[in-house]
Amino acid sequence: MLNVATAPLQQPAVAADERPVVLEVAGLSKSFGANVVLRDISLQVRKGETVCLLGPSGSGKSTLLRCMNWLEEPDGGAVLLGGQRVGVRPGSNLRMSDRDLAAMRTRVGMVFQHFALWPHMTVLQNIMEAPVHVLKRNKAEVRREAEALLQRVGLADKMDSFPARLSGGQKQRVGIARSLAMKPDVILFDEPTSSLDPELVGEVLNVMQDLAREGMTMVVVTHEMSFARDVANRVVFMDGGYIVESGVPEEFFGAPKSDRARQFLARYARG
Amino acid sequence: MSEFAVVWQHRDLILHGFENTLIIVALSAAGSLVLGALLTIPLMSRNAVLRGAATAYVDTMRCVPFLLFVYLLYFGLPSLGLRFDNWTAGIIALLIYNSAYMGELLRASWADLPKEQIEAGHAFGFSGWRLFRRIILPPVLFSALPLIGNQLIQIVKDSAFLTIIAVAELTHEATSLQTTYFVPFASFVAAVFLYWLTCVTIEGTIGYANRYAEERR
Amino acid sequence: MTFHDYLSIAHGALATVSISLVSIALGVPLGLGLALIRWSRLPILNPLAAAYVSVIRTCPSVTLALLIFFALPEIGVSLDPVPAGILTLTLSTAAFNTEIWRGALMNFPREQYEAALSFGMRRGVRFRRIVLPQIVHSSLPALVNEMTLLIKSSPAVAVLGIVEITRAAIRVGARTYEPLPPFVFALVLYSLIVFLFVKTQRIVERRYAQAEALA
Repeated sequence: MLNVATAPLQQPAVAADERPVVLEVAGLSKSFGANVVLRDISLQVRKGETVCLLGPSGSGKSTLLRCMNWLEEPDGGAVLLGGQRVGVRPGSNLRMSDRDLAAMRTRVGMVFQHFALWPHMTVLQNIMEAPVHVLKRNKAEVRREAEALLQRVGLADKMDSFPARLSGGQKQRVGIARSLAMKPDVILFDEPTSSLDPELVGEVLNVMQDLAREGMTMVVVTHEMSFARDVANRVVFMDGGYIVESGVPEEFFGAPKSDRARQFLARYARG
Repeated sequence: MSEFAVVWQHRDLILHGFENTLIIVALSAAGSLVLGALLTIPLMSRNAVLRGAATAYVDTMRCVPFLLFVYLLYFGLPSLGLRFDNWTAGIIALLIYNSAYMGELLRASWADLPKEQIEAGHAFGFSGWRLFRRIILPPVLFSALPLIGNQLIQIVKDSAFLTIIAVAELTHEATSLQTTYFVPFASFVAAVFLYWLTCVTIEGTIGYANRYAEERR
Repeated sequence: MTFHDYLSIAHGALATVSISLVSIALGVPLGLGLALIRWSRLPILNPLAAAYVSVIRTCPSVTLALLIFFALPEIGVSLDPVPAGILTLTLSTAAFNTEIWRGALMNFPREQYEAALSFGMRRGVRFRRIVLPQIVHSSLPALVNEMTLLIKSSPAVAVLGIVEITRAAIRVGARTYEPLPPFVFALVLYSLIVFLFVKTQRIVERRYAQAEALA
């Protein structure tokens, strides 16, 4: 079970609305063939926030997340990272070059549902790979940081193991460490615990909770209601491609404003 | 049988042919593996023209009989002004032919890779050549290892066709030995044995490498 | 190149394909026989069959053809080029077919076999009506693939001096002193023939994949 710490979440030194906007989505729309998945979605994520995207299957939440780092290209609207447009060349509507897109993506971390570790590298190599070969950082320095990150997620002893030998929960913790190694402005989590056996979910959620408490900006698509309720600063409920409701967890879980939210919560009553 | 004694007496001829076969196989195998890996890029390209051209090349090589192809390169091309010696023609033929096969089997391996780990590559800022070389290619090679092994055995067998253009490889030297000393049975049995030994060694090495690769799949 | 030249090359292609077809017709059942020997683990014959498969699968067609044509006369078996060519291709394809049939036999669901036993079916009936139809079905795509490969490698028998497509092209080239056109024609013609076989193979594979999906 999620270990909800006794100490409360740190109160931000700056008032919530004055923190800088790290990631913004404006008027996003996306269809797959005849299937409209996102309809005019707008959302701002501020520094230090943990935003949870909730909703039934097919509501568009994963697609929205994947548009944020341009793994999906929206049909309309804009994605802005620290004020800069993602995926599109500044001052035009032309698609950004692969190299420029890759450079922007180094600022956005991603944790995948099926872990997506690179099987031909050890755990340590997985974490070091992007900082060394994309950011071109000093190898010895990166190695020290990587070892520290592994320590932090509790997997220092698995440093030289290959992903094939790890459990799902271990793989996902490596996935989180791998994202942290890039020191991103924001980390996107795409259903990080959906592929895990129930008894392994807790170890991953605990790591994520620690991250949130330390002030990492996070956008999380999840079905784990306890995490959304206890850790998120804001909950965004989506259905049918729209943002139906958005607000602090106490409001959403305690007194949902819309029928659809109520229906959704009734189904997940046990959380 | 006294035949085998004669062959043993002149074994350096057979061994010389065997050595040449090994050289030919090594060069063609290394070359076609590299070219095949590069070929996967157009084969998997989103650009329909590029993909179409690469696929046409692969499909053509799958229909072309290797023997006729060798003949064409060695006997036919001089009319166009392209004159190769028999070794060059043979190795070029093996390279062009087997690069297509290597490319296709590596492409199939690439297509079978879990999409997420490539996406993770994109998400972490890998693109272009770096993405291909560090994120895509190693898992492709590891998972295609058994098929690469089969193709290597095929290259060993195809090398024997080069006897037709008088390259001094194993089959050619065995033929030479048997016509000189009238020992056809022992001569060709020796050749068959050496081919068998080579292929079994390749299979064994691939099996051993496979254990290394399995952990990394 | 005259019309007669084209015709002689086409005739050569026909000869090559005919030899291949005969070898296929002989090699498929031979492969089945050897696979059954391996599967039922008959003493003496089993290791011999295993050795045969291992050696022939790694043997180039050219070398095998030369061995059969030049070496067999020593033990009294003197063959003309065409039968020698057929024997070479048959032995070669049978080795690969053995492995294909063996795979099907090993993957045969044990329960079906036991069901047949429990109904009191005797071995001959069991095999003919239960096992054989199903292994034919599951082996067919791989067998057709092997047939295509055989057709493609059968010009190897040119080394025996049989007048088939390779020899025909060489002859025309030698006469006209222009080797390129006959070789190009031979290559294109034969590749088309192989292409037809490959197309047939794709159709067979698709139909069997559909049948599998429905099953």
